Amino acid sequence: MSETGRIGPVRIGIDIGGTFTDLVVMGAGGRFHTKKLSSSVENYARAIVEGLHEALEEHAIPTAAIAELRHGTTVGSNAILEHKGARIGLLGTKGFRDILQIRNLRLPRLYDLAWDKPPTLVERYLRRTLDERVDTHGAIVRPLNPEEAAREIDRLLAEGVEAIAVCLLNSFANPIHERQLRDLVAARAPGLPCCISSDVLPEIGEYERTSTTVVNTYVLPVVARYLATLQAHLAARGIAAPLRLMQSNGGLTTTVDAAERPMNIIESGPAAGVVGARAVAVRIGMPDVISFDMGGTTAKASLIEDGAFSRSPEYQVGGGVIMGSRLLTGAGYLLKVPAIELAEVGAGGGSIVWIDAGGSLQIGPHSAASDPGPVCYDIGGTEPTVTDAVLSLGYINPDYLVNGRLRLNAAKARSVFNARIAAPLGLSLERAAHGAFEIAVARMMRAIKAVSSERGRDPRRFGLFAFGGNGPVFAAAMAQELGVTRIVIPPSPGLFSAFGLLYADVEHHRARTLRTILADAGTRLDGAWDGIAAEAEAMLEVDGFPPSRRRIERFAAMRYQGQAFELTIPVGPGGLETIELAEAFGREHERTYGHRAGPDEPIEVINLRVIARGIPETPAVPDRLSIADPDSGTRPPPRPAYFGPRHGWHDTTVLLRPDLATPRPGPAIIEEYGSTCVVPPGFTATLDDFGNIILARPSHVPGSAIQ
Amino acid sequence: MDKFDAIAFELFKNAVFGVADEMALTIFRTSYSGVLKNNMDYSTAIATGDGRLVAQGLTIPGHLGSVPTALAAVRARFTDTIAPGDIFVLNDPYAGGMHLPDIFMFKPVFFGATLIAFAATVCHHTDVGGRVAGSNAADSTEIYQEGLRIPPNRLYAAGAPNETLFDLITANVRMPIKVQGDLRAQLAACHIGERAILDLVARYGLPEMLAYMDESILHAERLTRAAIRELPEGSFSFEDWIDDDGIESGKPIRIAVTFARRGDTLTADWSGSSPQVKGAINGTLGWTKAATYCAVKCILPRDIPNNEGVFRAIEVTAPPGTITNMELPAACAARGLAGFRMLDCAFGALACMLPDRIPAASDGGNTGISMGGYDAQRRPFIYVEFVAGAWGGRPWADGADGHSSLFSNMASYSAEVTEAEYPVECLTYELMRDREGAGKYRGGTPFRRDYRFLEAEGVLQVRSDRRDFRPYGLCGGQPGAPSDNILNPDGEARRLPSKVTMTIRRGDVLRHELAGPGGWGDPLERDPMAVLADVRNDIVSRERGEACYGVVVDTQAWRVDAAATEKRRAVLRAERGWTATPFVSRTADHPNADRREA
Repeated sequence: MSETGRIGPVRIGIDIGGTFTDLVVMGAGGRFHTKKLSSSVENYARAIVEGLHEALEEHAIPTAAIAELRHGTTVGSNAILEHKGARIGLLGTKGFRDILQIRNLRLPRLYDLAWDKPPTLVERYLRRTLDERVDTHGAIVRPLNPEEAAREIDRLLAEGVEAIAVCLLNSFANPIHERQLRDLVAARAPGLPCCISSDVLPEIGEYERTSTTVVNTYVLPVVARYLATLQAHLAARGIAAPLRLMQSNGGLTTTVDAAERPMNIIESGPAAGVVGARAVAVRIGMPDVISFDMGGTTAKASLIEDGAFSRSPEYQVGGGVIMGSRLLTGAGYLLKVPAIELAEVGAGGGSIVWIDAGGSLQIGPHSAASDPGPVCYDIGGTEPTVTDAVLSLGYINPDYLVNGRLRLNAAKARSVFNARIAAPLGLSLERAAHGAFEIAVARMMRAIKAVSSERGRDPRRFGLFAFGGNGPVFAAAMAQELGVTRIVIPPSPGLFSAFGLLYADVEHHRARTLRTILADAGTRLDGAWDGIAAEAEAMLEVDGFPPSRRRIERFAAMRYQGQAFELTIPVGPGGLETIELAEAFGREHERTYGHRAGPDEPIEVINLRVIARGIPETPAVPDRLSIADPDSGTRPPPRPAYFGPRHGWHDTTVLLRPDLATPRPGPAIIEEYGSTCVVPPGFTATLDDFGNIILARPSHVPGSAIQ
Repeated sequence: MDKFDAIAFELFKNAVFGVADEMALTIFRTSYSGVLKNNMDYSTAIATGDGRLVAQGLTIPGHLGSVPTALAAVRARFTDTIAPGDIFVLNDPYAGGMHLPDIFMFKPVFFGATLIAFAATVCHHTDVGGRVAGSNAADSTEIYQEGLRIPPNRLYAAGAPNETLFDLITANVRMPIKVQGDLRAQLAACHIGERAILDLVARYGLPEMLAYMDESILHAERLTRAAIRELPEGSFSFEDWIDDDGIESGKPIRIAVTFARRGDTLTADWSGSSPQVKGAINGTLGWTKAATYCAVKCILPRDIPNNEGVFRAIEVTAPPGTITNMELPAACAARGLAGFRMLDCAFGALACMLPDRIPAASDGGNTGISMGGYDAQRRPFIYVEFVAGAWGGRPWADGADGHSSLFSNMASYSAEVTEAEYPVECLTYELMRDREGAGKYRGGTPFRRDYRFLEAEGVLQVRSDRRDFRPYGLCGGQPGAPSDNILNPDGEARRLPSKVTMTIRRGDVLRHELAGPGGWGDPLERDPMAVLADVRNDIVSRERGEACYGVVVDTQAWRVDAAATEKRRAVLRAERGWTATPFVSRTADHPNADRREA
């Protein structure tokens, strides 16, 4: 069927995930196509462009119709996790050769004699130091010796480094020595990438700055190469539309910026899902939601409040999955760049269900992943998994997954679950399977609490926005535990991260350390802010946004003097008098921690931040979406499903999304390509005006999920 | 609902440990002192109404088991009068506390008129008065010199603050704003704990919740006993030493322990340890228990809940009047040192029991360094830092470096933040060559830190150790190099004792060198490629590579000379003439093992 002329300009979202790469082709009228490609290929760039070409051919969309491509990629994080980044050298200050190796000493695990830090990205013999020194106020104590510097640079070049990172002590206060080194590197090795920490992260903290600069330098050649290849393949197919990259902070940037600051695109995939959740939630008038993204190995939660997501100023790449504990961190490579705040736990469809030595039922953190996979996949998995439990409860259709392309062996799943879990616990199969389901819910609650109640936010006043392959299976049970009464499940929840790309705006984040007592700051704040804002505006200029389409947001990171942590406070467009800023800080401190200090206690400003946003002329995604690839097949017959000891087994109606045009009471199961939505008794499912499934229940019954 | 329904119980356990973590995060994010943020020197817990520990958050191992002791002291004094709205505090080591900087705070949680639980916190405060800023002095000789002693007392009575006590605290500490701020953080955590416990009651019902609290303890006990039953039978003894207490210089202090498995109980008897000492490094019995539990937890399965059930299966005894169970008026502010050495000693005994699972000695635990005084405006400053950083070689891998001590899990201070906030300049923070205990798996690489003092005058205090008694090596591994303190290394280069309190002036430089951790296994069996990497990375010199490991490295081509290595190793083997591989090595047995003494 030809849609040329009707589909108009299309925008394309491309999200590389662990197993699949998802493509979404979005027409101006809200009609969209999706395509899944395998992620396990040698040449991502070519595979993406070929897949895209096929999708366009299939729907007869000319390449000229493409207005824009948006991309979330794991190429940066893979380079780090697989240690396939560049061979780089690091220049530092004399006496501080081992900042990268000593890190901050703290261990992410207690009582574990076997734990080792991940290996440093620069071996010690490629870390060189120079006899120079700048003090904390920026004064030069010992000038850089250009001969010594040239000698050390040449030494690194002789070792065959592909890029050089520079991080000198106190360079946040005065970058002059770092700039001299950058010029020296440029003179001695023209074209060799050289990242200096005062450009990458002009903030106090030598470990954070060194680590961030090193990560950026380490992935830079890999990301730059990948982006160049991708653009070359696109050009070869005659696709000239601009390509924009998703950043970990939820904003888009250009390929030029991404190639210079690849540190900003490391977590682009998970960020895209949250961006989409925010956009959809705001559009349907639910500015306060918790996004909940559950896949095969992990579940991720993020908080959206007043229509904005929360960002954390730093995170660890490759730290493994946090076990719901935010107290013990440090397992990966520290990257101090703003990222959408996500809490992740190792609970997904593939998580293994087991009984501990004390006779207690446990879920994960080990996962059967896709190989050997859950027992029901029948491809060698012998350990019962969450998916096997869900199948035994009758929630998923063994014959319908991915339009029936993946058939599940339900009998085998039940028999293994019975032998390994139910019998040893002395429980019926359904009771044990439902127990595993509830414990998975409890584990995932930790991720949600980490972004809500542990931040002083009561989850009950939020909606739940669920996606990912398994999100809609667990959404209602999660909502029940949380006391949440409203759940949103967007169209194509299994590919929602690719959709999320289409909802993002162009954004640039900049920050600078400025340590001062707020009451004494006077006009220094305005001056400093204007400087950072000008830098960010210049980037929007390059992106092609005229002044009328630029939005500059300002933030101040502050704390009570002597406190160890800062809180970041948004500052309105006209700026704030210091006295108002102090009040805003006190309010936020009280809201977050439940207490504030007296008015006489000095407040200290640590960092200023600016977010510069480019506002598009037309929204990239229309209000109402309609899938152009409707689910095939007829509606399956009702089947028995188990909803816990209180409700027992129900002969449960199976619905397709369009059936929800009229509200349907639970119990019911809604089947779609790539995901299944469970509607337990007591919930009602409807379709809103934008094509989202809305699950609602009248009121909170504490603890009902465990009865 | 079945009382011991495995599923509902697991859900409860998740919830109650979640409460302890939530309390801990509250303190972490609102605390004022670096000790709390960087060192995470605090703990949070939930206990039953009769004082049994149900859940302790994952913060600092050194506080393991401290909450029941402190809570018992509160209950002993106030049992019949505990009322809603009360909040109790204490810090007196002779009445439930550990050392004076650690202030405990307990909030009883009532459901109606029934006391159902306690929300508990303990935080190390910046200063609690006493002779020396930071209240960590190692050279106090009686508790009365160490600061404000707070026996169990009400900080709030039925919701009303005890102004007398607040005033006393404020008047006796050097930095009342920080101390008040951190007390406020503890209060906030207690309130959050109380609210969360009452939410659990609403969710589960009171009888069920009480039953689950009991079951949490029993469950942990079952898991612990099951694991203990798998350990070898018999008794296993070990000894180690602290160089001295800083008062009686050169007089070694013995630490000794015997572990024995009896059925499904593990006993640790600290008899044979030295009588309590004059210096402030004595520990309470609770401190000895914490060190014991910490070592044992390293050999238990990782998923056992952290509560009283674990402690029930591990019986710890220590004779009163010893450094492992002090009596009045012993001083204890710097008792960290005794804890670190007890941990080394406990690991040594466990290595006898399980030679394949336990590493050689670490660098010996934190060195405490403080610089305090008053600036020209008479404003006080206190820079307190605890540094440690390298672990012993392990039966399967090299010792880690840049790792906090296992017992304290502290973060280091940023040099840049230190320079911005204190009158201190950080000149060096770097790994040192040739200090590791050699071994098939070598010890981690220790670092040194150089500080320049920038105020007119101040008091420097250093509490270090492992200079005379080095970190031991195991199973043929060598001991590590000793620690050192040097004043003005580029000038007079005066060697300071391992424990020192002295006046310093503007421009003075202190260099502290950590001891090297011990190695594990015969150094002559070390993979020559690993030695090559160490030499290339300047962690081990080429000379030491040959002398200790028998590996001959060509530093032009960066390769191992295999033939020369084989020859060299044969010579070294003949020279040392081992008839059996020594299990423990405390002094270097090869003339070139430690170049600093050569």
